[in-house]
Amino acid sequence: MRALARGVLWGGGNDAFSSGRLRKLRRLPSAGGHPEAEPDAASEILRFLIIHWKCDIDVSKGALLEGQLEISIEGLHSKHQANALHCVTTIASAGSLFGGMVLKKFLKEIQSILPGISAKLTWTSEEGSYPQDMTGVTPFQMTFEVDEKPRTLMTDCLVIKHFLRKIIMVHPKIRFNFSIKVNGILSTEIFGVENEPTLNLGNGIALVVDSQHYVSRPNFGTIESHCSRIHPVLGHPVILFIPEDVAGMDLLGELILTPAAALCPSPKVSSNQLNRIYSVSIFLYGPLGLPLILSTWEQPMTTFFKDTSSLIDWKKYHLCMVPNLDLNLDRDLVLPDVSYRAESSEGDQSHNMDPQGQTLLLFLFVDFHSAFPVQQMEIWGVYTLLTAHLNAILVESHSVVQGCIQFTVDQVLEQHHQAAKAQQKLQASLSVAVNSIMSILTGSTRSSFRKMCLQTLQAADTQEFGTKLHKVFREITQHQFLHHCSCEVKQQLTLEKKDSAQGTEDVPDNSSRELLADTNEQAENKRLKRGSLRMEEIRALHSARAPSPSEAAPRRPEATAAPLTPSGRAAFKAHGRALAPGRVSRGSRLEDVLWLQEVSNLSEWLSPSPGP
Amino acid sequence: MAFAPMGPEASFFEVLDRHRESLLAALRRGGQEPPSGGSRVASSSEVLVSIENIIQDIITSLARNEAPAFTIDNRSSWENIKFEDSVGLQMVSHCTTRKIKSDSPKSVKKFALILKILSMIYKLVQSNTYATKRDIYYTDSQLFGNQTVVDNIINDISCMLKVSRRSLHILSTSKGLIAGNLRYIEEDGTKVNCTCGATAVAVPSNIQGIRNLVTDAKFVLIVEKDATFQRLLDDNFCNKLSPCIMITGKGVPDLNTRLLVKKLWDTFHVPVFTLVDADPHGIEIMCIYKYGSMSMSFEAHHLTVPAIRWLGLLPSDLKRLNVPKDSLIPLTNRDQMKLDSILRRPYVTCQPFWRKEMEIMADSKMKAEIQALTFLSSDYLSRVYLPNKLKFGGWI
Repeated sequence: MRALARGVLWGGGNDAFSSGRLRKLRRLPSAGGHPEAEPDAASEILRFLIIHWKCDIDVSKGALLEGQLEISIEGLHSKHQANALHCVTTIASAGSLFGGMVLKKFLKEIQSILPGISAKLTWTSEEGSYPQDMTGVTPFQMTFEVDEKPRTLMTDCLVIKHFLRKIIMVHPKIRFNFSIKVNGILSTEIFGVENEPTLNLGNGIALVVDSQHYVSRPNFGTIESHCSRIHPVLGHPVILFIPEDVAGMDLLGELILTPAAALCPSPKVSSNQLNRIYSVSIFLYGPLGLPLILSTWEQPMTTFFKDTSSLIDWKKYHLCMVPNLDLNLDRDLVLPDVSYRAESSEGDQSHNMDPQGQTLLLFLFVDFHSAFPVQQMEIWGVYTLLTAHLNAILVESHSVVQGCIQFTVDQVLEQHHQAAKAQQKLQASLSVAVNSIMSILTGSTRSSFRKMCLQTLQAADTQEFGTKLHKVFREITQHQFLHHCSCEVKQQLTLEKKDSAQGTEDVPDNSSRELLADTNEQAENKRLKRGSLRMEEIRALHSARAPSPSEAAPRRPEATAAPLTPSGRAAFKAHGRALAPGRVSRGSRLEDVLWLQEVSNLSEWLSPSPGP
Repeated sequence: MAFAPMGPEASFFEVLDRHRESLLAALRRGGQEPPSGGSRVASSSEVLVSIENIIQDIITSLARNEAPAFTIDNRSSWENIKFEDSVGLQMVSHCTTRKIKSDSPKSVKKFALILKILSMIYKLVQSNTYATKRDIYYTDSQLFGNQTVVDNIINDISCMLKVSRRSLHILSTSKGLIAGNLRYIEEDGTKVNCTCGATAVAVPSNIQGIRNLVTDAKFVLIVEKDATFQRLLDDNFCNKLSPCIMITGKGVPDLNTRLLVKKLWDTFHVPVFTLVDADPHGIEIMCIYKYGSMSMSFEAHHLTVPAIRWLGLLPSDLKRLNVPKDSLIPLTNRDQMKLDSILRRPYVTCQPFWRKEMEIMADSKMKAEIQALTFLSSDYLSRVYLPNKLKFGGWI
């Protein structure tokens, strides 16, 4: 066993998983014998790791994070607590993640956030040497231990999986290997979306656009009538306002919300499916594309999102949305943070729970922009602020948020409205063509001509001829129209590209608000462009409404890295405390459903074990 | 000849007669070859078979699981048009084409409309009835959208089938007027006498059907504007300079007016002159009569009269007659662009005198209507200007 000095986080060796444990972070049970309601430590550490990782390699903002992380949890019967498992969680990198990570700094910073996780931490140091080179390319591994009830472990695992699924949707080049071993029974799952089509959103994140991650396939209806990808429309970024009564950090920048919306499945040929939105799934992401797990995530309906019209005026689309608490989960789907479903309004049954309808996907990306170089801890602080106070921030910024999201959704629906019109135009044209041909055929006095036409389409009479004529016309033109979906063309172009991000499409930097009039690639590119508002313009738009961002978020005089302010820590703690009661109270039904679906092969260890 | 001799003495027409002789000599030198290419007068059965062949091709494509498409000549592309002095603008034999596909969102509607109009033509030909383009449009105005769509498709079909529009049993609405020493019998047997009176005769809608044309006319005067035409009628011009024929297309001429001018030339070889405003628009109208238009270049042989001469109003006349500047109008940007466009056209190259006149206009940046001559006297046009021009050969 290699002895390591304090403060070093190093795995050493060339193996994917180093055997050298650098530091043990032992979490002891509380005095009352019941484990404290603790936030999910693994998710918090992963989050911080990604922040550090991103900041470390952020030479160009457009670079995507690339690498593989191993997360393993091993649970054995606890010796210190009855009916509890002693869980050892290991987070390791398979290969190098950082080029010049300063381990001491990383360790110090992560230590500062860990007190929020546990009341007590135990550090273990061992004698020995450690590699002198601390700045080289290094794989790494860290481990922490905790005693907790099996049900708590179940929930933790679900939270981790939810977190991982959400991460890979915007960080498609990161791969996670997640394994759980409880009393000798191993379950492994890989989270990765390699080689799947993505849409580069800039700022180092790219959205996976494969529909199967968002909607299960049985809801697709006729496969030929739908595209396998979603086609997100990016909305204009808006500045969010932080309420004055929110205790928070002194931010040296602004919080920017950028929405993206898409219909899923995306119909290639939209006809009856227009505007029949069955459900809405909202995904929340914070800075650097980190999933936002709200402090009240298990009870989202008590927040800003409880009022379904907060984001969008549904009456405009003749829809009535209600919060959806009845989650129909699929193993491979990304669980939305907020979900609505359409309900019949004014007695109209046509919209009532049509599972063949579409889901409106709404991605809300809240990012932090600053004129100064942003430090890891600052991003962590922003994330903490959002986790604890997103509700208040969204309420404060309600009008601008609703405006930009409404506009984005309008664009999405308008596209499909245009597609439906194109389809109607096609159908009308085909009818005219067929009727004209039939008119000539039936009016002809030349038997050789009539006979030849019937024989060519293998029809016995003119009636059958008409039917076959219409059918073959429809097949030929629909085939072309179906494959006129822009993503088909783009797919070919993408495969030809020498872009290292395979299947990744870039959002062009130009501005355009043009709606997709037809489904050609050019129109597709246009509708994916960002809004043209630069930071100064965004600020100018907001200046009349609110105090200047400098007043709303007082700037610190120096852009130096600083640990979380006490208020930040308090917010983090509040997050942690709030999570637990919700977690416990959510209790039976949902957790059981989640657990049974997600970890079906671990049912054995729910029963009493035979002992060590 | 039954016309009463009301005009000037015979010596008045000496120059005109010599001009006519030179035109006839040129015709004899050039030969009377029948027009090649372009559209022709086709029989009803030929038209029906042509349409059926198109349908057959479409069905065959569908049976092969291929999306059918129409291949249409690019009528409105200069690269498909050549100029011949004896004919004017006409389409080249191997011109570029464009496809109207049935499986393209942008062209599927036009594909369907072409089939629709083909089916309507088929019915007209079968039933030996006729309809105007306007009639076609109003059969389903919502489907067609606007008249221009119908007009273009009919021209495309005419070009595609290489038959005249008349053969498709589609008539164009006549808007022209004719007056003077001319009589004929229309297809339905109606006898028409265009002898000048207070009113003129409408150009018939079936030019191909008129027969027994009779005239003594020494010249045909094409008048650009209806206002000028009416003024000449009021001044009894046709009788004062009898025997002559006067015709107007009221601006840009319709097909029947052009066909009639062509028929008069082909039948009588009477010198044809134009009286247009001294502005780019007038010059362009004159070029349409003489050399044809780009859009109808596929029917050039039936429509153009290259022997047409420019009688007036010449830009050089404005200076010669000391037309005051307040009677002149500055060229607009649009005028300038049109003038530049005309100067670039291939036929201007063989018309040095026309080019010179247009350059005078371009240099002065001024234009004038025929009505500018009224500054001299109200009847100066019919009493002095035109008689002098015709008597002394003031045409180019």
